[in-house]
Amino acid sequence: MQFKKSDLPKILDSMAKEATVLAPMKVKGNSKFAPWGTEGELDFGAQNVLLPPKDCLFPQTEKMYRFETDGLKVNDFEVINESRPTVLFGLKGCDMQSILCMDDVFLTKGYVDDFYKKKRDDLLTVCINCTTVAKECFCDSMGGSPNGHAAADIQLYDLGESYQVKAQTEKGQKAVDSWQQYCNKDEGEIKEIACELKVDMDGVPEKLAGMFEHPIWEEISRKCVGCGICTFLCPTCYCFDIDTTKDGAEGTKFRCWDSCMFSEYTRMAGGHNPRPSKKERVRNRFLHKLEYFKERYDKNLCVGCGRCVAKCPVNLDITSFIDQVKEVASHE
Amino acid sequence: MSQMQEELRQKAKELLEKGEVRYIIGWGKGRFHHRPPIFIYQAEDVDKLVWDEYCVANLGKYLLDDKFPEGKIGICVRGCDSRAVVRLVQDKQVKREDVCLIGLPCTGKVDQEGRELVKCRDCMHRNPPVYDIVLGEPVEEKGNPDRFKRVEELEKLSSDEKYEYWSNVFDKCIRCYACRNVCPACNCRECFVDQYRVGWQGKQKNCMQNQIFGLTRAYHIADRCIECGECERVCPVGLPLMELNRKLIKDLNSLFGPYEAGVNPDVKPPLGEYRLEDPEEYM
Repeated sequence: MQFKKSDLPKILDSMAKEATVLAPMKVKGNSKFAPWGTEGELDFGAQNVLLPPKDCLFPQTEKMYRFETDGLKVNDFEVINESRPTVLFGLKGCDMQSILCMDDVFLTKGYVDDFYKKKRDDLLTVCINCTTVAKECFCDSMGGSPNGHAAADIQLYDLGESYQVKAQTEKGQKAVDSWQQYCNKDEGEIKEIACELKVDMDGVPEKLAGMFEHPIWEEISRKCVGCGICTFLCPTCYCFDIDTTKDGAEGTKFRCWDSCMFSEYTRMAGGHNPRPSKKERVRNRFLHKLEYFKERYDKNLCVGCGRCVAKCPVNLDITSFIDQVKEVASHE
Repeated sequence: MSQMQEELRQKAKELLEKGEVRYIIGWGKGRFHHRPPIFIYQAEDVDKLVWDEYCVANLGKYLLDDKFPEGKIGICVRGCDSRAVVRLVQDKQVKREDVCLIGLPCTGKVDQEGRELVKCRDCMHRNPPVYDIVLGEPVEEKGNPDRFKRVEELEKLSSDEKYEYWSNVFDKCIRCYACRNVCPACNCRECFVDQYRVGWQGKQKNCMQNQIFGLTRAYHIADRCIECGECERVCPVGLPLMELNRKLIKDLNSLFGPYEAGVNPDVKPPLGEYRLEDPEEYM
């Protein structure tokens, strides 16, 4: 089944009647997933969108509840858990994989995050295969593929002038049924591609497990400037902080993204900081991406989207790090 | 370029072998076109030093990671790095005698597509104003006749238009603090942003909190910005932060007379000293 690319705006329009359709758009110079129908233009360029899609399931700032107090007494308390049907349209394989990582964190191992779950239940995912790769892309080294993702509700294949449609879930089938007027029964040949940048993850998580005290951390973290670009552009970094704003008797509790690259992230109430320097912070980030998450959820927490590789101001590059880990002797 | 690179490696080797410096901060080879900062301790590693049109990162800030060094730190300085070091010395973060500045006259750097970086286009000091050793020949200064052009355009806007313009800018900020972290003028031991218990800065990412961050930072570095343009270079969402910095520089120049931060170590920043003839009308 296929539809013409020229019909894509109509399909997006029809979906936008019942849901917020987030598509890769260029908005005021930045590429991100933005609501279809707002200012900005569709941007299906070769490079991944700059800002990851995680914001739609795990907003950078999210109100959790509001309250009203009278002295120590709480007069009014209301959980804010707002969601509406949302379509993430035009995900690449790497970003789809990132959603599975987030699912593991927020929905499994005996704890379900209601705020995440509500949005996830309301979400329809539409993947498009990549026809070109950026030089920083390395998803197929991390367990993903530029050619699509089996977990997407709908997988589209770019055939040049049209998209071939494959519904992969019941939810996806339902959506595709409503596109029938734009679709024909043709089947085209799907071209597969591969990333140029390769890393070899074989044995890396296991090797890292013995490298906590290795001198490599001192060496690689030296140039880190300690900003949050890598964590905020990362589609899988999910750390957050919870804080309160209070104005008189009324207040709101909110959660917001936090970054393990910030010194304040691990600072404890008494002032002690168990990760006092960038060495400990960089170590934590890379071990979380490449070892801890793998041990807990059997996935790499790095999906190979290449955003941090492209945007780190000093090229502290996770792919070069993986190469280096393969080369160095394990620390005795 | 390659001749300069060779000279640099030779000089680095000499300094390390003679024990005149403990290590050298320079640029090395990264994965693609990148030339990330590197730290060379051994004379046999000097061939890792690179000097070409891709050496973009400002190196001065790394001196803060080693404030009490065991021996001198050699550091490669273009005009902007040299000014960054002067900045840190003037702010009493680094001792001048702890550093050996290896000057590299610079004709500007390019991005991966070969386009000249904005920060280099606007550069007014391609030759390091302060150095201990200088390599190669001095290059011609091109000045920047358009230094305040954009500021003058913005000044013509009405208050409402200005507010809308800057709201749009800061609406895009993702608060990664990369601008702060690369800025040689941002050398507070603890940034106001991180003084969580005082609560200057909310952790919410919204336009108001983003503006609090952006504007407070701009004012905080007002007379000390060395115009290296690193804040703009590293900003992942492309905010025009130098417009704000140059507006403050322009205002300071008109109030206190022309001043360029980090150029002359003997001239104090206008807000850092008191003079009887200072204007009072703004107080």
